[in-house]
Amino acid sequence: MEALSYEFMQRSIIATTLVCAVAPLVGAFVVQRRQALIGDGVGHVAFAGVGLAFVTGTNPFVGALLLTLLAAYALFRMERRGRLGGDLALAMIFYGGIALGYLFTQRAGGGLNSVVGFLFGSPNNLTWGQVWAIAALCLGVLVVIVALYGPLVSIAFDEPAARVSGVPTDGLQLILTVVVALIVVGGMYALGILLVAGMMVIPVAASSQLSRSYRGTMLGGSLVGVGCALTGAIGAFYADVPTGSAIVLLAVGCYLAAAVLRAARQRYAVGSSRRAATV
Amino acid sequence: MDRRREDRQGGGCEPKRSDAPALCFEQVTFGYTRVPVLREVSLQVRGGEFVALVGPNGAGKTTMMRLGLGLLHASHGTVRLFGERVEDFEDWWRVGYVPQRAGSGAVLPVSVEEVVRTGLTGHLGLFRRPRPHHRERMEHVLDLMGVAGLRRQPINELSGGQQQRALIARALVTDPSLLVLDEPTTGVDADARHVLREALEHLVDVERVSVIYISHDPEGFEGLADRVLEVRAGHVTDLTRPQREETSEERLWRR
Repeated sequence: MEALSYEFMQRSIIATTLVCAVAPLVGAFVVQRRQALIGDGVGHVAFAGVGLAFVTGTNPFVGALLLTLLAAYALFRMERRGRLGGDLALAMIFYGGIALGYLFTQRAGGGLNSVVGFLFGSPNNLTWGQVWAIAALCLGVLVVIVALYGPLVSIAFDEPAARVSGVPTDGLQLILTVVVALIVVGGMYALGILLVAGMMVIPVAASSQLSRSYRGTMLGGSLVGVGCALTGAIGAFYADVPTGSAIVLLAVGCYLAAAVLRAARQRYAVGSSRRAATV
Repeated sequence: MDRRREDRQGGGCEPKRSDAPALCFEQVTFGYTRVPVLREVSLQVRGGEFVALVGPNGAGKTTMMRLGLGLLHASHGTVRLFGERVEDFEDWWRVGYVPQRAGSGAVLPVSVEEVVRTGLTGHLGLFRRPRPHHRERMEHVLDLMGVAGLRRQPINELSGGQQQRALIARALVTDPSLLVLDEPTTGVDADARHVLREALEHLVDVERVSVIYISHDPEGFEGLADRVLEVRAGHVTDLTRPQREETSEERLWRR
């Protein structure tokens, strides 16, 4: 295949596939906790981090990581006080983040292209160093998810009951929010700050249409993510469209297909039971 | 024995007593704002006892149990679990809690088996995996609550009664001595209430679990509850008439 013969495409495919494989694993927990938009919010703060890095002349990766980790801690504190969701302070952080990010990048003389690159991803411009950094972040997130799978499921499903049964819910909440920040930063170059959050949520929504268990939903979401990343990255090369957009639109397509399949399956099941009752 | 008189005395809650009550409130006052929801409440729930907590919506029943479970902290007074102050209590596996309508809140599919396994998390700690005896216990509680056949079903696709039984199975998986049920019959049809009731009877009679049953619907606990406590205007009143202690044979016959 011609696309695979280019080194920039190899880097693009490796980075997007890794991010899209791990992001749904994190997304399953935030969706179950009704915080589907938290990744989007953290992404806004990551943009401020990128802008800050432009102004100070440091690595955007480091700037985004620092500010998103700070935001993760702030969100955790807010959640502990029961103020997450519909809270004005939360909106201030998110919209303040994106406004600050644009201000910083303009102030530092960052061009529109670099801003768009961070917002919507530029996987074809990745260096091998960036690919390894993304791989390290994804691996770190994967290790945390696998090691703490049981406790994270218990706080995602029913936090009060988990707290009563002795699960350290505060610490796990903090870990989950930090992991969201890590995956947003990991996906920043590959998919963009605004689109990476979509790959946390949409593949999970798609696989939940057909799965009957939590583990199945998570693994299915990861498979959908990998499929969309491979197809999207290679398809975007031939169709000459932006890679991030192609991947996320494919994931939306998967969701719609899964929803139709589920409806058809339910209609068939109802029809079968009616036929059985008639006989 | 006049249990109301014994409650007023408020004795027997001392720590480290082997026969300490499962739950004990000593002059507990609590309010979300400056206005107290509960005022100087004292009560005890002893081992193997079935206590129903009734009262109008917003009277403070759930608040009281959240205090008892350490999810809220009293402004004044002491709450004890098995003789230990709730702030210092560590043996949380001894307490099973079924919050109100917990199963119906699942956004993603979570199978009954996965739900029951989450009950073990606190007991196992962060990194330990379930061992064979944990799996045996899981099988036992799935059978006990009549949901073994539904183990692979997503809980949010089950009926209200089946969801409640799955959640009670989760609460029982650590073999607790105290089970707290918050409005377990909400959204549950008449047939399912009957099944739920039979399961609770078995828990009290055979498994000897203390039960605190919060409800505004007396049908769920009539004939089962040893005592009925009403929460109203910040105070708790024992509605049970003073009566002599039934023998175990009479108790069995009554059911």
